[in-house]
Amino acid sequence: MKKVERLLKGKIPSPDTGIEIKKSICTICDPTTQCGLDLYVKNGKVIKVEGSKEHPYNMGTLCSKGAALRQYIYSEDRLKTPLKRIGSRGEGRFSPVTWDEALESIAEKFNEVKQNYGPESVVFFAGYTKYFRPYLKRLAHSFGSPNYLTESSTCHQATAMAQKLTFGQPGRPDIKNTKCLLVWSSNPFHTNPGNARAILKGKERGMTLIVVDPRETPTTALADLHLKVRPGTDGALALAMANVIINEKLYDYNFISNYSYGFDDYKDYVREFSPQRGEELTGVSADKIIKAARMYASIKPAAIMPSASPVVHHTNGVQNYRAVFALIGLTGNYDIYGGNLVIPESFIHQPGLFLTKEHEFVQPRQWSEMAPRIGIDRFPVWGEVIDEEAQAMYIPFQIHSEKPYPLKALIGFGMNYRMWPDPKGLLESLKKLDLFVNVDLFMTDTCKYADIVLPACTSVERSELRCYPMGYIIFTQPAIEPLYDSRSDVDIIYSLAEKLGLDDPLFKAGYEATVDWILEPSGITVSELKKHPGGMFVPNPIKISEKKYLNTGFKTSTGKMEFKSSVLEKYEGIPGFEAIPIYRPPKYSRESTPEMAKEYPFVLNTGSRLPMFIHTRTFRLSWTKSLRPNHPSADINPSDASLLGITQDDLIRISTPKDSIIVKANLTQMVQPGVIHMYHGHPDADVNTLFEGDYLDPLSGYPGFKSALCKIEKV
Amino acid sequence: MRKTIYLNIELCVGCGACVVACMDQNDIYPEKGQASFRRIYKMEEGEFPEANIKYISTGCLHCEDSPCLIGCPTGAITRDETTGAIIVNQELCIGCHSCAISCPFGVPRFNVNGKMEKCNLCLERVEVGLEPACVRVCPTFALTFEPLNKLQETKESKFALNLMTTIPKVGTVR
Repeated sequence: MKKVERLLKGKIPSPDTGIEIKKSICTICDPTTQCGLDLYVKNGKVIKVEGSKEHPYNMGTLCSKGAALRQYIYSEDRLKTPLKRIGSRGEGRFSPVTWDEALESIAEKFNEVKQNYGPESVVFFAGYTKYFRPYLKRLAHSFGSPNYLTESSTCHQATAMAQKLTFGQPGRPDIKNTKCLLVWSSNPFHTNPGNARAILKGKERGMTLIVVDPRETPTTALADLHLKVRPGTDGALALAMANVIINEKLYDYNFISNYSYGFDDYKDYVREFSPQRGEELTGVSADKIIKAARMYASIKPAAIMPSASPVVHHTNGVQNYRAVFALIGLTGNYDIYGGNLVIPESFIHQPGLFLTKEHEFVQPRQWSEMAPRIGIDRFPVWGEVIDEEAQAMYIPFQIHSEKPYPLKALIGFGMNYRMWPDPKGLLESLKKLDLFVNVDLFMTDTCKYADIVLPACTSVERSELRCYPMGYIIFTQPAIEPLYDSRSDVDIIYSLAEKLGLDDPLFKAGYEATVDWILEPSGITVSELKKHPGGMFVPNPIKISEKKYLNTGFKTSTGKMEFKSSVLEKYEGIPGFEAIPIYRPPKYSRESTPEMAKEYPFVLNTGSRLPMFIHTRTFRLSWTKSLRPNHPSADINPSDASLLGITQDDLIRISTPKDSIIVKANLTQMVQPGVIHMYHGHPDADVNTLFEGDYLDPLSGYPGFKSALCKIEKV
Repeated sequence: MRKTIYLNIELCVGCGACVVACMDQNDIYPEKGQASFRRIYKMEEGEFPEANIKYISTGCLHCEDSPCLIGCPTGAITRDETTGAIIVNQELCIGCHSCAISCPFGVPRFNVNGKMEKCNLCLERVEVGLEPACVRVCPTFALTFEPLNKLQETKESKFALNLMTTIPKVGTVR
């Protein structure tokens, strides 16, 4: 083989091969990862994808999803032009239209709805990815609608709610400096490799690792102590740990007496949760509960690493996580180095050690100047605590009830109807809209219900601003031209703002001028960022000090850390709204509904991450699919399978009173006996159809995806 | 210096990034009946609550004394002298499966044309100073591309350090 041929075979960048390396980032998962990319580009086409070594987050590495990015970019399912529906909703028959035609008809309809019903009757929804969110929120509010909603309605906001109810603002685990890390239901080895590497480093320097997780994962395998909690009983476990910490006087007396509110009531309630009772409720032995409590309370500093959604995907989720976060206050580990440190967010929920005007940008109109957001009459605590958005779980209810006002038009960016419990119910509600638009990369099942479908492009075809906790920032440049007639989501938002005739100076000034405006307090400019296509360290990163509450107090109404929530005190007497983080078993469980549990004896736990999937985003790629060839399949413990006569890859039916799906059985010790794990969102077996639409946490409106009851039968 | 691919089994988390990176590098598409040159295996021991799950990423080990090379009747399998990679010339391969029979690790696989295919150590990358694609991608740095004996040295020094820090502790207890 000639030298050039060999170089071409190895895809080696050089003038001889015509292969160039272009920088970008991967946003298949979002928002705390965004690995830096080296894209091997030849003749305008990506021929290979690699992690960028200079990027401090991923240091040259990628996960299996990011490594499959090339198939994602060039998927045959990519949308090629804007489309207008010609068949019935759901049928999937469309005809191509021009961008102008599509955008003008959307703008015309939105303005018509605004005139006839008010701007709040137009809904703006953000699914994945997240880079365009600030611009979409601005578009909604500039238009006059309070109804900017996101997939965070089932992902991160309930955890944020529990943190805000406790501390006013969340503290992030300072993994780098901690001596004891308590990971509460997260497996970063399959979701956030940066955190996984931080844990490995911590272990090397002797950090103690405690992991609470119903599953066996690579994270639990590393743990000094693994608490195999029964799904949905996290609150009881945290309260039993508190019981030990209080009885053994391991708590931080100074913090509690000077900076907390409601400790005595909390302490009285915690008395009910002896380690023995904890064992009965959670399945974790009393001995382990005592050990974990002693470790976490006596090793200083100690940090709790929460996850975005597993603990709050329960009908008692927020109260459970409040009980967990109370431990941070109890032990005085809040806002200290090596504990749960408060680090200001710079952009899109990420700290970057620089200041921005993001908040002013996304909220050009105050909530008080607009109609009430969707869902806040049903979930009033959301309205009090969550500042960013409306609660999307309530969309189908409001479309049907038209109360407090009708919803008539909806534009989704990467909207996936399978995110909702009872997804078919959501689809039915979407049919009632006068106009439904979805922007996506692929012709998804959700797009099939849209009146207009707009083709977006991937991260490597666009330009986006991102930042990283180590003080790193990037404003990517397109590595290749947008494929077909696709456009970036931001381009679509700006064009729509123009067609809507919005009198908004920043939309008029354009994207890059907007980014400069947002970054103004940091002193960083787009032109400087463009000189660093792979990103750069932030000049003069802001220093993060400890115990900022000493000067500013806590951002709660009492100005203190709250064991008893002053927000929830106002709702006294309403079940689920208790001011103390009470423990209540999941709405459907052996404890709450023993009759139902006789017929449906298994706990149904959905959505726990598999390494090759992130929601539905990589289902269509043969590379990632090949890593779990039997999917759609449900994880079942071999002992349960053997009792039911089920062997590997047998077809099984998973049923709840609502519906049933048929999948393959995947026998594994990863799942504990009595629990079935099913990954969510598969088009051939959508486990969310097994949930009722109102199987929700009354505080957050979050679906109880991680504990319902089901039965299993061999088909 | 000759290097080879090592796996630190303690760090493998079964994520499959190496499997995908291999397919991206080598244009392997499962939908065409092709298979990655790397694979992930999972081993489960014990039962709840004491279960233990381990993962391992496997591929060609590029043996020094390669049974596949010795067993190949047409000379299609050779060793690259510079890198030490065991490579297959598909033009000479007759698809007789001798290599598959002789390989104790189950590495050789046959493509839709019946010819043997396997990992070539990303020879073309290694020649220009890059690491194999699977090594580059590995998010826990479980896979490394190192001089022969380097991994052993790393392990040995870690063990020695552990030993040194453990002995005094034992002493103080007594």
